[in-house]
Amino acid sequence: MSHPTGARVLVVDDEPGILRAVQTNLSRHDFRIETASTGQEALELYNRIHPDLVLLDLGLPDIDGLEVLRAIRQRASTPIVVLSAHETERDKVVALDLGADDYLTKPFGVNELLARVRVALRHAARPAAGTQPVVRFGDVEIDMERRRVSVAGSDVHVTPTEWDLLKLFATNPDKLLTDRMITDAVWGSSYPAQAHSLHVYVARLRKKLESSDGLRRRIVTEPGVGYRLVTE
Amino acid sequence: MWLLGYGGAFAAVTLVSLFIGLVLGQVNLANSSMLYLLAVLASAVAFGRGPAIFASVTAFLVFDWFFVTPQHQLTVTDPDEWVSLLFFLLTATVTGQLAAGQRARAREAQEREREAVVLYDVVRLLGEGSSEQVLQAVAERLRQELPVSGVGIELEHGQAMTWVSAGDPDALAGLRLTRDAARVLQPGPAPSTHDHAAPGRWVRVVHPTRRTPTHDDVHLVPVRVSDTRVGALLLVGTSDRFGASEDRLVSAAAAQIGQAHERARLREEATEAEILRRTDQLRAALLNAVSHDLRTPLATIMASAGSLRQQDVPWTEEERQDFAQAIEEEAAHLNHLVGNLLDLSRIEGGSLQPNKSWQELETVVDDVVDRLKPVTRLHHLSIQLAQDLPPMWFDPVEIGEVIYNLVENAAKYAPPESQIDILARASDAEVSVIVQDRGPGIPPAAIPHLFDPFYRVIDGNPRPRGLGLGLAIVKGLVEAHGGRVWVENRLDGGGARFTFTLPLSEVPAEMASVGHAPR
Repeated sequence: MSHPTGARVLVVDDEPGILRAVQTNLSRHDFRIETASTGQEALELYNRIHPDLVLLDLGLPDIDGLEVLRAIRQRASTPIVVLSAHETERDKVVALDLGADDYLTKPFGVNELLARVRVALRHAARPAAGTQPVVRFGDVEIDMERRRVSVAGSDVHVTPTEWDLLKLFATNPDKLLTDRMITDAVWGSSYPAQAHSLHVYVARLRKKLESSDGLRRRIVTEPGVGYRLVTE
Repeated sequence: MWLLGYGGAFAAVTLVSLFIGLVLGQVNLANSSMLYLLAVLASAVAFGRGPAIFASVTAFLVFDWFFVTPQHQLTVTDPDEWVSLLFFLLTATVTGQLAAGQRARAREAQEREREAVVLYDVVRLLGEGSSEQVLQAVAERLRQELPVSGVGIELEHGQAMTWVSAGDPDALAGLRLTRDAARVLQPGPAPSTHDHAAPGRWVRVVHPTRRTPTHDDVHLVPVRVSDTRVGALLLVGTSDRFGASEDRLVSAAAAQIGQAHERARLREEATEAEILRRTDQLRAALLNAVSHDLRTPLATIMASAGSLRQQDVPWTEEERQDFAQAIEEEAAHLNHLVGNLLDLSRIEGGSLQPNKSWQELETVVDDVVDRLKPVTRLHHLSIQLAQDLPPMWFDPVEIGEVIYNLVENAAKYAPPESQIDILARASDAEVSVIVQDRGPGIPPAAIPHLFDPFYRVIDGNPRPRGLGLGLAIVKGLVEAHGGRVWVENRLDGGGARFTFTLPLSEVPAEMASVGHAPR
């Protein structure tokens, strides 16, 4: 697994224990770490060091974590992974809709943390993802230009809506897509009622692409948040 | 009114006289005076005591004047005639009195009956408590029945004062004006000026700008609970027809309102006591759970972390890994327990709001089965969902949690290598999901309590890990979706079978038109 060596990560959390654990671990994996324990401090530090990634706790003592997120997003598209606890459970979906790249629910394991950080950094480093003419996941092959899908060599018919869904997943591998993002992209933002049928369409798409190594298990549900196409 | 009575009595006597004079004059019937008794009786029944006496005396005089010799004089020559005339007067008076008394009793009985009916209505209304709606209904009913233009009821509810009123808005405006002043005034006579023997305890409230009492004055009956005043029944615009009967009715209604108020207060206290008792029970169970079930994993964590920190023991790499793994597993377990506690508090607190959307049950089951792998690695998990399940309207996180908890529960009790089934089938109105195992089943005595928080079937040893919250959470989540959950023992070879249902909703045409994926 690769990541940009020496990537600079800004960790924002008001709990010293979390800061220490994250700092120790990420440092060992060649990340350069800066820490902030308030929203104000985080914004000042952000402006000074321009980190490659921000780990942002949503429950901060001074400013609402969501405000910090907005402030950063106004300036740059730096990948942001939010940390949510029980009290900020509902905020995490808001954060993702506001442009956060991913989330971790406290308490989280170190492996999970590393995986999310790496995916977010990789995604940032690959802005042109999805421009390849043919995308493959396991034995699923998606021909972007000819709008054709095959599983283990045989063509599968997908409806226009299913194709839009599939294309969205294929062009955003490993990225967490919230229900809102998906309905906006596939049905348009003025289509609130349709939002509710999203899960039914995803279910049918998964079923159609079912195979020993198909997309059925690769389009992973993030309960209550959205979906993620897992490539590894 | 009274003039009509005496006029009527006079007319009756005249009528009888004419009859005697014109018809019987020819026949000369003995004791024809007795016909006047008819007139007296009629007057007594129709108009009461006074007119009856009046009819008796008039008849006596008229008969003497016209029919007793010498005619057209009040003198009587024959002593026999004297005696019979006097007997007539006596008989007429007594008959009249009796008849009039009968009439008065009948009228009183009628009034009592009406009072009883109204009071019964009031009591029936108050049977539902002393809430604002109930008091409003009582006020309406009294206003309907009483000769007043407005009825108001005020009643203390804790710190606040409930105020309801019914009737003519103008009259009620006057009520509101004097309501506060009413509390300081002294008892006075009943509003009826005719009947001072009334039993009610009244306060007449005279409008401050007026000197003399008028019918616009407010009359107030205090509502008491064992001598403490808790409110008042107020009447405005009492008319002349307001008499003893109305007074009795109002006093009785005020007493009933007081009693209803007291009953409602006692009921509230009982409910609060019950809630407190349940809360206490829950708190005791929670303390027990925290002290035992939450501290057990903590003990493991502290021991393992302490071991790792020991400088003087040369732990092998494998041993260090074991300690670390124990810490991780126990911490994850603690996290799970805390999550359950939080879920339960949301359910018990009533703040559960399912975030529903259209879902395919199969997808949700797939996702849950993935998450369940570590839990069910020793069992065979078999999934058979009916092929024709329609899209369903539920919260995927919560229903996922329900299935997870049921399977986790089965895996906890069923022996290794045994099979756990997840089945689902649809009927017209609902989908039933079944999770069944080949474990020891549920002792019949435990079945009614199985879904209570912190409840455990203590049969098993060693005691299974957990707080005994899984099934309570299942019940709370299923019920929040309008479904039911129950457990039974399997007759075909033992084990427990949990079934929960989810109601089916009509699938929107937009989704149905896509058609079900052909299988």
